[in-house]
Amino acid sequence: MDKEILKEIFLLVLEIIKAFCEILWKKIKGFFCLIWDRFFGVTNISSPERGEEREWGDTGEDTWPVAPEGSRVRAEEPQPQGKREGVVYAPVIPELPEDYGDNRMVLMVRDPECLFAYWELRKDVLGNILNALGSMAHSAKTVLRVYDVTDVIFNGNNAHNYFDIEITGGAQSWYVHTGKPNRSFCADIGFLTPNGTFRLITRSNLVKTPPAGVSGVVDEAWMCIDALYEETPVTEGFGSSESVREKAHKGWQEIIKEGVSSFETSRVSPPA
Amino acid sequence: MEKGYLSFILHAHLPFVRHPEHTEFFEEDWLFEAITETYIPLIDVFNKLIEDGVDFRVTMSISPPLVSMLTDPLLQSRYIRYIEKRIEFAEKEIERTRHQPEFNRLALMYHGYFANARYIFAEKYRRNLVTAFKKFQEAGNVEIITCGATHGYFPLMNHNVNAMRAQIHVAVKHYEKHFGRQPCGIWLPECAYEPELDKILQETGIRFLITETHGILFASPRPKYGVYAPIVSPSGIAAFGRDRESSKQVWSVSEGYPGDFFYREFYRDVGYDLDYDYVSPYLHGDGKRSNIGIKYYRITGKTDQKEPYCPEKALDKAAEHAGNFLFNREKQIEHLSAVMDRKPIVVAPYDAELFGHWWFEGPRWIDFLFRKMASDHKAISLITPLEYLEKYPVNQVSTPSLSSWGYKGYHEYWLNESNDWVYRHLHKAAERMVELAKTYPQRGENSLQNRALNQAARELLLAQSSDWAFIMKTGDMVEYATKRTKEHLFRFTKLYDDIRSDKIDAAWLSDIEGKDNIFSDIGYHIFQ
Repeated sequence: MDKEILKEIFLLVLEIIKAFCEILWKKIKGFFCLIWDRFFGVTNISSPERGEEREWGDTGEDTWPVAPEGSRVRAEEPQPQGKREGVVYAPVIPELPEDYGDNRMVLMVRDPECLFAYWELRKDVLGNILNALGSMAHSAKTVLRVYDVTDVIFNGNNAHNYFDIEITGGAQSWYVHTGKPNRSFCADIGFLTPNGTFRLITRSNLVKTPPAGVSGVVDEAWMCIDALYEETPVTEGFGSSESVREKAHKGWQEIIKEGVSSFETSRVSPPA
Repeated sequence: MEKGYLSFILHAHLPFVRHPEHTEFFEEDWLFEAITETYIPLIDVFNKLIEDGVDFRVTMSISPPLVSMLTDPLLQSRYIRYIEKRIEFAEKEIERTRHQPEFNRLALMYHGYFANARYIFAEKYRRNLVTAFKKFQEAGNVEIITCGATHGYFPLMNHNVNAMRAQIHVAVKHYEKHFGRQPCGIWLPECAYEPELDKILQETGIRFLITETHGILFASPRPKYGVYAPIVSPSGIAAFGRDRESSKQVWSVSEGYPGDFFYREFYRDVGYDLDYDYVSPYLHGDGKRSNIGIKYYRITGKTDQKEPYCPEKALDKAAEHAGNFLFNREKQIEHLSAVMDRKPIVVAPYDAELFGHWWFEGPRWIDFLFRKMASDHKAISLITPLEYLEKYPVNQVSTPSLSSWGYKGYHEYWLNESNDWVYRHLHKAAERMVELAKTYPQRGENSLQNRALNQAARELLLAQSSDWAFIMKTGDMVEYATKRTKEHLFRFTKLYDDIRSDKIDAAWLSDIEGKDNIFSDIGYHIFQ
């Protein structure tokens, strides 16, 4: 009897060890995949603005959204003339290329304070850089380095300043909040090692954010009529010492944020 | 003598939707609804004003995709089918409502409304409504301006000058073909100004554009007159800024005229309200409920208990609102002219489809406004931007600021997590199109390669339409917008690969030429 109990306890312990090993194995495997994907297979698309976490390898990009039952979508293939169409069809959507074999990054302006960057990195380029980094490769982070290059011919070293964003989750795009209207920016994507070495993968184009207020440049031949800049409903409460420029700036910031038009309601489309 | 001017601008645009591969297609109704509810009512208003000798000026952009659809024989014949089904349904409604006088008179009204649409479309203009607008332009009442070839969003394609140039040059050529002269102005898609456009516009002879308010207010150097006079860019293109006050009175969901309780309720269509078996023969093949175009109720208030629509009261309101709009403009002009050393121009642009489609009484409001202005209000006159430039040829040189009329004033509506994936593909396709145009010098008109290159240009342009990103963000009809984007990009990519490998699939090419038949005489070399 005691032997039976001992046997049961022994088997139970074995089960626990087995379960523990399985968990450990999954962790090791996951960690390996993580490292591999980060350096050799940038397949995931996610960025801070995308909200929910996604699984590795799930780009979420080119997948057809699941159509609700009875949804109004139509057959892709030509139908014989005169035949009424079926109610629902399984949509056939051609998939777009996952990559174009490029190693490049494109920077775009979204608004005076926010940029959008997307990139495609070639595995052979990444491999060469990581090889050159040698033992430091495993601890290197993928970093987006954003330079303020206003009024300079950027050579890689003469930016006014820069900041780094660590790119996680194998992202292929990122929204960059610079908070700086009327400035020029350029970005690098590269590997940053713990000792501060930055290895460039690719450099973006140059962009300029628009101003977020009225211009400080005044043309003497066309002196501004201040009264025309006071046509804003939010000028009340501003101190009288404030310049027209400051007033107009604050006023228009509010107006733009509230959404000047409601034009989206006027599109021709059926009600939701 | 007037103290200032009002420039009334209507932007008419719909994305290119044409599906010959299907016998009927739900999204084609966007065009048919707009023809019935906006374009024909506007044509009626303009015709009656001219008949009555009322002098008026309107500036209208009619986008190339819209012109293409309005002149397309397949869509024209489908519109006849569409309107005839409405007439038939209205006849049934007259019978069904015979014991309900408050609805019966509305059924009769709709019957007349649809029958008139059929007459104007099929008989008066022989299926081609573009000729109506061309005639108004020739009469000097309407100044028609152009737009991007497929309503491409310029600031989000700005690192490829050739792509922007193609959008503009193709549009200008298309305009010349349909209106028989050069366009003098351009409506920038989504009112999105991109400083790089300046030189391209100069190449085409375009003299003016419209920007959002802060496109002018944030221009540099600071514009002397704010938005109440144009500025001129370094390349000589005049930019007029939207007046916020006049826009808000019409646009605003909360304060705008279209929300008045006596106006017709858009969201109570018989296609949704009536017994399913009764309406189903007039729905699409999928049987899903949709708008038929007969709406019996007025807005009434924030309630589901809607009251029957009363056309007479609604028209009284439209007249009252036109008076109110004019009163406010006069006050505005009076104030502006007191501080300005020239006559101010108040620029009031709107989406054309707001009038009639969403705001049923909108075309009549325009009618009342123009008649009032012509008869008893002398302090303010209607003017087109071009006429203003003739009166004031010397303007301040200043560069407008990047801007759009979208949410928050910039590009966020077209660049966010719902649609940002399109740009890597659009940019690559544009780059490849430029590469193709440079690699292959133009050959004979009908060579297979030439046809494939031209079709590649069409597919790229169609993919660039800002409407797809817009719809992806609105969350309604997203599948269709995604499908269209992918389809055009897929077709472009296949054409690119086929041309590069010299293996053009002639049968497939003929098939997509038949489907995406916009810009029949495009020359791909525009991308060089």
